[in-house]
Amino acid sequence: MSGIGTGYDLSTTTYSPDGKVFQVDYAGKAVDNGGLALGIKCKDGVVLGVEKLLAFKMLVPGSNRRIAAVDRHAGMAGTGLAPDARAIVTRARQECAQYLSFYGDRIPAKILADRMAHYLHMFTLYWSVRPFGASTLLAVKDHELGYALYLLEPSGEVQRYFGTAVGKGRQAAKNEIEKLVKADAAGSLSCRDAVKHLARIVYSTHDEKDKAFECELSWICDQSGGEFRRVPKELAEEAITLAKAALEDDDMADA
Amino acid sequence: MSRGSGSGYDRHITIFSPEGRLYQVEYAFKAIKSVGVTSIGVRGKDSVCVVTQKKIPDKLVDPADVTHMFKITKVIGMCATGKSPDIRNVVQKARHKAAEFRHEFGYEIPVDFLSTRMADEFQVYTQHAYMRPMAAMCMFVGIDEEKGPCLFKNDPAGYCVGYKATSAGVKEQEAINFLEKKVKGENAGNAFDETETIQTAISCLQSVLGEDLKSKELEVGIVTTENKNFRLLSSDVIEEHLTAISERD
Repeated sequence: MSGIGTGYDLSTTTYSPDGKVFQVDYAGKAVDNGGLALGIKCKDGVVLGVEKLLAFKMLVPGSNRRIAAVDRHAGMAGTGLAPDARAIVTRARQECAQYLSFYGDRIPAKILADRMAHYLHMFTLYWSVRPFGASTLLAVKDHELGYALYLLEPSGEVQRYFGTAVGKGRQAAKNEIEKLVKADAAGSLSCRDAVKHLARIVYSTHDEKDKAFECELSWICDQSGGEFRRVPKELAEEAITLAKAALEDDDMADA
Repeated sequence: MSRGSGSGYDRHITIFSPEGRLYQVEYAFKAIKSVGVTSIGVRGKDSVCVVTQKKIPDKLVDPADVTHMFKITKVIGMCATGKSPDIRNVVQKARHKAAEFRHEFGYEIPVDFLSTRMADEFQVYTQHAYMRPMAAMCMFVGIDEEKGPCLFKNDPAGYCVGYKATSAGVKEQEAINFLEKKVKGENAGNAFDETETIQTAISCLQSVLGEDLKSKELEVGIVTTENKNFRLLSSDVIEEHLTAISERD
């Protein structure tokens, strides 16, 4: 075995002796160091949340958003290297616009996910470029699937999920999401409830050692008219208040 | 660590080692095996069947979105084993080539021709440093107008050949040993009817995995001379075959 990949990890066009492309794996590690991004597909929509770690105290609150709309009916939450995530969002916007211009209809979920998968994968093929150091959660509404949640990874892996998380604390977050999804086998979890759960999960998995953070929440659901929007201010604030309260309860219970 | 040409560098890009090996191509094969999935393909006298495992490690993944069986054209199917992003790339290329051929020549691309053209693409990656070989092993199936049922397998080295029965993935060698016993004699590859073809493929997979499979852990794709369209068997039909196999044993 080649340990930490000595020598085989310098280029995306090199396989290691055990068949790994280390550059792609390392890009995944860049994502693991980013703030938590998570999403849940509910019966009436998809909710996305991001734990936006604040590096400086002087940052204007609500700026440097990590969640962006990609079209009216689709949006993305990114984590990892922020500039790379922005580049992915830009490309997704171009794909949506091109499809609309060519076919006259909103791009379907499967096709957008597939195109983005090809795009991300391309950067794992050539010597002259590096893979993106960002993963994005894509929430789309379309005729065939209704609402769909996809995870796009630096390797070009793209999968549809019922719920998932990436970035710091993702394992704990995924366990929480799994509990929600399991308990919700009938598919009755609503977006309003999911927003509160997401906020709770973000706050509870936040590492104390890290600096301050903001919790961004966006959704695409029946309540938002099938459009990708930020979660309405009152609901978001309510969710965050509940999340903070739940955290204090936990603290008190531990103490 | 890499000392330029010599013992190090041939492992970084696809150039020859002093013994004449292409290490990067060999490592691509390892990448395929590292995924941990096995696929089987069997050709019969009037049908071809491909079977692959449907492994879903994460409970949060939507199983409807996981597949390794692809329609390249209505009548050509492909079962791919290896890394999903590379598989996606290969599927796209194969579909493009098939569509281009249809547009240019006015008839559907034959399976063996498609397979050979894809193999030629794969060979390019083994000769040029700017791209790495794809970690994808592809089995193309279809009923050819002249040759009848066809099963072709492509690998990252750019090798492509027709098979009576074959396998790809982590348990490839064990599966091939199993198949060699089942598919033998002069009439090999021309004797099985549809049911035998399907059941040989499924029982081979069960045997090399050493466990009884459930229908939701399998994908079974088939083409037959009666119905040349590539299609997946429904889980009920797979269940019937699994039951028939277990009753037989």
